[in-house]
Amino acid sequence: MQPTDLTDHISKRFNKDLEGLRNKVLAMGGLVETQLSDSIEAVVSGDSALGLRVAKDDYKVNKLEVSIDEECGRILATRAPAAGDLRLIVAIIKTITDLERIGDEAEKIGYLASKLAGMDRPADSYRELKNLGDHVLHMLRDAMNAFARLDVEASKLILIEDERVDEEYDAITRQCITFMMEDPHSVKRVMNVTWAARALERIGDHAKNICEYVIYMVEGRDIRHTHNLDKQ
Amino acid sequence: MPESWRRFIVGTLLLLAGGTLIGWYYGSATWGLLAASLLALSWHIRQLLAFERALRTGDFEAFRYGDGIWSQIFARVSFFKQRSRKHKTRYRQLLREVRESTNAMPDGGIVLNADFEIVLCNQAAQELLNVQQRRDRGQRIDNMLRDPHFVAYLKSGVPQTGIEIPSPRTSGGWLLCRLVPYGGNQQLLLIRDITERKRMATIRREFVANASHELRSPLTVISGYLDTLAEDPEIPADWRSPVLQMRSQAARMNKIVAELLELSRLEAQLGDRSDQEVDVAALLASAKKAYAYRGDAPQLTVQCETPARIMGNAAEIESVVNNLLANAVRHTAASGTVSLSWRVRADRAELAVTDTGEGIADEHIPRLTERFFRVDSGRSRDDGGIGLGLAIVKHALERHDAELQIQSRLGEGSSFVCKFPLARVLVDAPVDISVRPTPAG
Repeated sequence: MQPTDLTDHISKRFNKDLEGLRNKVLAMGGLVETQLSDSIEAVVSGDSALGLRVAKDDYKVNKLEVSIDEECGRILATRAPAAGDLRLIVAIIKTITDLERIGDEAEKIGYLASKLAGMDRPADSYRELKNLGDHVLHMLRDAMNAFARLDVEASKLILIEDERVDEEYDAITRQCITFMMEDPHSVKRVMNVTWAARALERIGDHAKNICEYVIYMVEGRDIRHTHNLDKQ
Repeated sequence: MPESWRRFIVGTLLLLAGGTLIGWYYGSATWGLLAASLLALSWHIRQLLAFERALRTGDFEAFRYGDGIWSQIFARVSFFKQRSRKHKTRYRQLLREVRESTNAMPDGGIVLNADFEIVLCNQAAQELLNVQQRRDRGQRIDNMLRDPHFVAYLKSGVPQTGIEIPSPRTSGGWLLCRLVPYGGNQQLLLIRDITERKRMATIRREFVANASHELRSPLTVISGYLDTLAEDPEIPADWRSPVLQMRSQAARMNKIVAELLELSRLEAQLGDRSDQEVDVAALLASAKKAYAYRGDAPQLTVQCETPARIMGNAAEIESVVNNLLANAVRHTAASGTVSLSWRVRADRAELAVTDTGEGIADEHIPRLTERFFRVDSGRSRDDGGIGLGLAIVKHALERHDAELQIQSRLGEGSSFVCKFPLARVLVDAPVDISVRPTPAG
């Protein structure tokens, strides 16, 4: 299925509706990407104001989710789409839920960044969080690209990428535990780092979900909770 | 009638006539005509089949035989074919050269149609944005480049200026995007990698800020001791004047460092701050009040035509007014006048500082806001100015989306007008622009 397949309807209005909906989802994706990259930046540079701004701006993501949701409902009610169109709408409804969750996690990271900014900073200025964050941000970007291109192959690669994010998260957790055992005074700060890493790891999972919806949308098969990608 | 036609028609007629003649000789003219017609028909059918075959294989010379009109048709088609092949090769080569040259461009370029869909993109664009010509043709650019600021820029429809966005590919990278409409409703999106430029600007800014910071602490010590020395009554008389001079120069250095820090602060926080209402009228009134305490100086008048306020940073607006006022006073003789005015025009609000001072030559005006720029480099620097005031004014105004317009004539005076966009101006009560100028203070 090519992107142009969306414009293959007898009713021009319907084409426009679907195309507009897709653009809106991608715009929401762009907003979420920016929120995430800003929140990571806030943690790394210790910019409390930036972190708080990310937290404050989460309402924009929520507003977009509600408006896209309504639009989907309207299309389902008035057009009764079938086959590929129906899958598109279903996938969009699920995708925006995940995007909204990613927005919430970014908001959380923003808050944590403003808290961390007020505490002692380690010499490496949270390099491991930065690495994990960049990794996850790339995953999210690739997932949105795959959504725009309806690219199944790229989606499958991202699914595998998530395993590496999980490994990185485990490494950070182990490191944090070591820090806390060595220096009980740092527990409060390191706990926040753990929470931020946890949020990033969750974002990776949500990006993975989006890729699964892309595969569902294009191929019509549901690969959730089936971990045998290599065999297929 | 062309010669070939005549020969063809005459030949055919001759054949038919010959056939009829032979048939008549043997007893039946009709059978003779029929036989001749069949002969002619089979000749043409043969040629026709050969022509079809030649069309299929593309080789017209191999199937060309005999002579006459068919042979000419073969020759002509063969000629056209060769010519079109030559043209095609030439166009293909031209196209390849164009594509190679656009690919060689270091900046990314994407051709978009009226709906912002990707039509063409060069190599650099593919690398900078992670798009692919083949795969992403027809994809909307804002679906690929999803940064909210960029999307807003596309929708805003004001392509005169570019926009800086973080690179979607490399962490910490920055791109400058600029939309240029052309040829009806096509648009060209130019993309330039400005990561390095951004980095250099940051390094420069940080260097200035750090250097100023580092200078500050030793300066504090030096001016502290100099202050003590200057107050000391037991200091030898011939040391008094040097110490006083050192003290004033140290104070001057302190001022420079403070203003440099102020400048780097203004630069660093571009676009990231909270605005409040600034009452310009009150600000001008207090400037007038503060000014009244000074002695031998030009007359100051204040004209406030509107109670409108600006959304912005009070300290920065105040610094703008103070710097402009200090400049005007410094360059105006005691017999002259300096006036401050605040008014709302149809498309903008203007805060103006006008003097009747010495004026500035045209060639210096564009450079006035540069740091440490002096109109007359030979002139003494003891007049209290340190060459950063207008730079601070410019940056502070930039942060308020305002611009500084300078008009001046040598010997007659200058006017510095800060133009604020109406979007930043708050006019609560319906403004009566016709209100008489009321000199405040």
